[in-house]
Amino acid sequence: MSGTGELTYKRVHQAPPELLFDCMTSAEHLAHFWGPTGTTTPVENITVDLRPGGAFETTMVNDADGSTYTMRAVYVEVRRPDLLVWIEPGVEGGMRTSITFTDLGDGRTEVTTHQTNVPEAYLSAQARAGFQTSLDRFDAYLARITS
Amino acid sequence: MDRVGSVAVLEDDLTLVFSALADPTRRAILEHLARGDATVSQLAQPFAMSQQAISKHLKVLEKARLITRSRTGQARPCALDTAHLDTAVEWIARHRKVWADRHDRLDAHLAALREGAR
Repeated sequence: MSGTGELTYKRVHQAPPELLFDCMTSAEHLAHFWGPTGTTTPVENITVDLRPGGAFETTMVNDADGSTYTMRAVYVEVRRPDLLVWIEPGVEGGMRTSITFTDLGDGRTEVTTHQTNVPEAYLSAQARAGFQTSLDRFDAYLARITS
Repeated sequence: MDRVGSVAVLEDDLTLVFSALADPTRRAILEHLARGDATVSQLAQPFAMSQQAISKHLKVLEKARLITRSRTGQARPCALDTAHLDTAVEWIARHRKVWADRHDRLDAHLAALREGAR
C-alpha cells in the first residue's frame, strides 16, 4: 500500500536551482522567508543538518504574541540542486515533503513542493487511519460537487 | 489552553473527514449524493456491492458527518452534508497559503540578494 495523500504546490522563481536549493537549506537564507505571514523564524531558531537522517528544525515566533511553533523534520534525500525531501513524523499524521527544483533554462527555476503522508513504517495506528486520501483529487472533486 | 483544546477537536474532526474520504467507494457515494438524496438500495446499485457493505461505508460517512440520514420512514434516505467538507477545504487552503506566503517571501529575499550582488 502506498501513501497517496498529497498536496502539490508549484512556483517559478527568477533564480538558478543551486541558489534556490541553498535558500531552502541554509539557516541564514531560511530566516528571511520561512514561517507563515505573521511569524518570524530567527536564524538561531533554525537547525539544518543537511544529510539524509539529519535534522531540519525550525521554531517560528508569532510576531503578535511571541508564542512559538516548532517544526521537527528529518531529511530523507539531499541532492543539490535537484531534490530535497524531509519527513515530519509528528505532524498531521506524518507528512513527507518533497521539493523538486527544475531548471527552466532561462534563468528561472520551477519549485514543486509535493507533500504526501509518510510510508507506513513512520505512522502510528491512529495516523494511519487519517490522511490516506489524495488531497489533490479531493480538491478537484470538491470543486465539482460544490460548483 | 482553550484554544489548543478546540484545535485538537478540530484536527480530530479533520482526521475523520479525511479518512472517510480516503476510500474511493465513499467518494463515489458522496458524488452520487451531490446529485440528490438517495436510499441505501439506490446507492448500492452502481457499486455491485451488497447493501450491507454500502451501509458500512455510510456509517463511516455519517460518523465523519459528511452525510445525514433522515429518521423518517423505512427508506431513510441519505443526504450530503457539506459543512464538514468545507472544514477540510479550509485546512487545504490554509496549508497552501503557508507555502504561498513562504514563496512570496523567498521572492523578496531573492530580489534583495540580486540588489546586494549589483
